[in-house]
Amino acid sequence: MELINASLKTLRTMLDNKEISARELAKEYYDRIKKYDPELESYITVTDEQALSDADEAQKRIDEKNAAPLTGIPLAIKDNICTDGIRTTCASRMLENFVPPYNATVIEKLKGQNYVLLGKTSMDEFAMGGSTQTAAFSKTKNPYDITRVPGGSSGGSACAVGAKLAPAALGSDTGGSIRQPASFCGVTGLKPTYGRVSRYGLIAFASSLDQIGPIANSAEDCGILLNAIAGADAHDATSSPAPVEDYTALIGQDIKGLKIALPAEFYSDSTDDEVKSTVLSAAKEYERLGAELVQCNMSSLKYAVAAYYLISGAEAASNLSRFDGIKYGLRGEGKSFDEMIRDSRSKGFGAEVKRRILLGNYALSSGYYDAYYRKALALKQLIIKEYNDIFDKADVILTPTAPTAAYKIGEQESDPVKMYLADICTVTVNIASLPAISLPCGYNADGMPIGMSLVGKRFGEAVLIQTADAYQRGFKYEPNKYTGA
Amino acid sequence: MDIKTIDHLCELSKLNYSDEEKQQVMREMGAIIELMDTVKQIDLTYDDTKDFNSIAFSQLRRDEAAPSFSPEKLLSNTDPEDGCYVVPKMVE
Repeated sequence: MELINASLKTLRTMLDNKEISARELAKEYYDRIKKYDPELESYITVTDEQALSDADEAQKRIDEKNAAPLTGIPLAIKDNICTDGIRTTCASRMLENFVPPYNATVIEKLKGQNYVLLGKTSMDEFAMGGSTQTAAFSKTKNPYDITRVPGGSSGGSACAVGAKLAPAALGSDTGGSIRQPASFCGVTGLKPTYGRVSRYGLIAFASSLDQIGPIANSAEDCGILLNAIAGADAHDATSSPAPVEDYTALIGQDIKGLKIALPAEFYSDSTDDEVKSTVLSAAKEYERLGAELVQCNMSSLKYAVAAYYLISGAEAASNLSRFDGIKYGLRGEGKSFDEMIRDSRSKGFGAEVKRRILLGNYALSSGYYDAYYRKALALKQLIIKEYNDIFDKADVILTPTAPTAAYKIGEQESDPVKMYLADICTVTVNIASLPAISLPCGYNADGMPIGMSLVGKRFGEAVLIQTADAYQRGFKYEPNKYTGA
Repeated sequence: MDIKTIDHLCELSKLNYSDEEKQQVMREMGAIIELMDTVKQIDLTYDDTKDFNSIAFSQLRRDEAAPSFSPEKLLSNTDPEDGCYVVPKMVE
């Protein structure tokens, strides 16, 4: 099997059987990064020297026949996840030179398995956006067409996996930031249940919605990564004590009798016809595999984008108030304390980040708090109730991941309202704290991947991975210029 | 959305814009707030007794002193003087 198309399980076997060394595997990916990433710009920082020394450490463990599932496996990490001693920028001028003094919990967990860090991937600035074009540097392209966006905010991670510049990656998802870029780049992305993975060391955007998760070539690979990063953490009081399962355990079990709900509002006129018909064809395929399709409604969807932007904006305004240019981050000028802070923030943040801060402070300010912020929280409760009602009748929910496939760079990014409305298919999952997985289900007339999302019950990741895998076994992937090369 | 509101939000947000930028921000924020007004179309009240994402106090760690980062690490992302962060003079 060609190395770059190998699953994580196959790479594990190849490493354990000495068909390849951890160093050779890392070098294979660095050669590809060197060749293709100047065009794709999926990485902000490439950590080759560190990686080769990590690979040698991993090799010792492999030689001792003591390898964990990810020992010697190279991974890309989104650049909002703190890595001790390695620059972590959030794709922002504010943190362009920030070197964290500690590792995020997910990094500690991966290091515990002796993984190999390939580098830090680009993203929308502070994870705010759906195109990776709000990045202050490394504005990533789509591997299926470099004139199109890779999605966002985890566009660097999705592109790196889609172009085989990493076998798998970590991203983060606040309103669709793992699933939508996975959909645009033709790969699989899993947003775990809120609290399933520690957020310690994830640079905060909206703390009640943020969640770290895997982006990979298959549901099974996502499960292998989730196994490594899931679990309670004393550093994150919102992490869940719910027991960690083997998230790959149900793979291969048939899905006969599984009830899959199709909420009509996700298939409305605002969703592109080609996307709709492709996802509905996938639903038919599930029916052929023995699943039962259940029609249902979600009336709160039309309020969801506004509720999401009010809640996430309010939390972002609060979280980003820490960036004052004093303890870390870009330092501006000014004779007074206030002038210096304002100059630091005005020079350090890009336009979209500033808009979100203004919106958040508007929603939280006197006279608007009840009308906007508390109303958004009321809508959150309605959205949760409607999901619960659907899950009384079904096991998983199937929706498009995004209303369209990847669009041309420059087509939407200058219109914030248009950009926000494009999040309609993903934001309710974060609002309701649910897990969801996006996987490719077809390609449009331009050859761009179309993604569908399976949404599960809280802590139902194993069923999602089983259900996604059942479809992927029969799915024919189209290569892109980098994977076909 | 008017310039007075934008000025107030800039004060709350600790951000500066030029007069020209303010005009653009005012237009953009006007369109964004129009979208946010969607939430006013539904009659709902938030019930904070039903917020299941609240952190259980039993999950909080004990309030005990524990080793933390060294001063060198904490100061590593700035230009400190005598082991301290430097800020503009705040009192006359």
